[in-house]
Amino acid sequence: MARDRTEPDLDRELADLPPELRWHEWMRRIEAVLFASASPVPREDLARVVGQGASVDLLVADLAEDLGGRSFEVTRVAGGWMLRSRAAYAPAIRAAADVGGQDLDLNEFDIAVLAAIAYHQPVTRDGLKEIFGKEISRDLIGRLNAQGLIATGPRSPSRGAPYTFVTTERFLVAFGLESLRDLPDREQMEDAGLASPGGS
Amino acid sequence: MKPERGSPIIDLETLPRIPSWVTSARAETLEDVAFLTGAALAVLHLVVSRGEVPQPLLRDRLALRAAEACVALAGRPERAADLRDEVHLLRPGDLPGPAGAICQRWRQAAARPMTPEGLHRALPDLTRAQIVFWLEEGQGGPVDRMAQVLEAVLAEDPRAEATALILADATLARVMGWNRLLPLFAAHLTMRDLRKTGDELRRACHRAVLASCREAVPLAHDLARRAAKLQSVAPKLRAKGAGKAVEIFLSRDAVAPSEFTAFMSDRAARRLCDRLVTLGAVRELTGRDTFRLYGV
Repeated sequence: MARDRTEPDLDRELADLPPELRWHEWMRRIEAVLFASASPVPREDLARVVGQGASVDLLVADLAEDLGGRSFEVTRVAGGWMLRSRAAYAPAIRAAADVGGQDLDLNEFDIAVLAAIAYHQPVTRDGLKEIFGKEISRDLIGRLNAQGLIATGPRSPSRGAPYTFVTTERFLVAFGLESLRDLPDREQMEDAGLASPGGS
Repeated sequence: MKPERGSPIIDLETLPRIPSWVTSARAETLEDVAFLTGAALAVLHLVVSRGEVPQPLLRDRLALRAAEACVALAGRPERAADLRDEVHLLRPGDLPGPAGAICQRWRQAAARPMTPEGLHRALPDLTRAQIVFWLEEGQGGPVDRMAQVLEAVLAEDPRAEATALILADATLARVMGWNRLLPLFAAHLTMRDLRKTGDELRRACHRAVLASCREAVPLAHDLARRAAKLQSVAPKLRAKGAGKAVEIFLSRDAVAPSEFTAFMSDRAARRLCDRLVTLGAVRELTGRDTFRLYGV
């Protein structure tokens, strides 16, 4: 973190441009940085390509508006921003290109276990066993781990000091969440008909 | 072993307390609350400069308290004991859970020198320029500046409570001229307080600072007394490395015996901790038989 990548040729302040053009150029730079990055870019990194006092948040907001009619958008995920194609174009993208390798290769039960980890983290395999009423295989955990969706967390203070599991930044990116607090709460799930009101 | 410095009892009697007219007063108007806050902060200022108070330990314990409050504000179920466990059972290369991450941020903020670099680790969602701006450019008295910081950070991201509260405590420390951040008022603000703005928020901040001084000053007294006790039994400890262990106890909220294994055997570390408990110098904090944690 916080490597200082100084780029001597980059004129951050753009003092010779009129204010409106300057702002536009900063917006374009942010667009370029986001376009070139496969992972979310934090505010600190974007601040390095615009003027000292310029508000990254306002620039990103203007960029988002600017992209209004396009097939891709700026989204806030995992504490940064990234460009991603709009969900409406998913069928077109799938029809044109082989994106199989980028898909998360997860079955329904994998997703259920992943959701349980997200809600109950840090949680051990024993903790998951209690939730599902059956043993959760090392294979399944290994699959989620191999896809970078979960990682090992602090050990649990119980016999044998088993690992707990926690979700990663990649989990947030994959599911389009800005933070874990975006996970739907009980009320939202009831509204969607996914949980019965008044307890499980 | 170092010789004992003076008589700890005499030192402790000169440690300032918050006068009773401050602790018992009921204030309603912003002016009255602000007056009491000023008086309480003046006493706290004296206490945090005194050598009898184990300052790193005070900061670490207050950091845990602040983290517990932040975790609750974020709607998570973890309490202080869970946070302690996460901190001590996290191995290099593993990721903390969401609550453990908040706790790490508070402990880092309280332990590191108050430079923009040091604070940036605890405030990853702000740019260095933003941190410098808030520490240097604020207007008005310490509590007004805290209120401005809270309002501005939360207006940008209503869920950045931890960031707002750490930065607010940093602002207070800067205005007070302290070289380290003291995690003070997170534990005394509610979610409703954080939604307030303007004078309402300023009054809530004054109340919170007043409440936190009323808590922090007695805590400092308590820790100073416990530290004196620990130092008084230190010469009785025969174990090699006991002096170092005592120093660690005086700088951290909780310690696992395994953290002493760099300079003593595992067995010796456990025996030392048990002996300190028997001598009444430290307490076991978890109530468990295994994975025990000890603290002053």
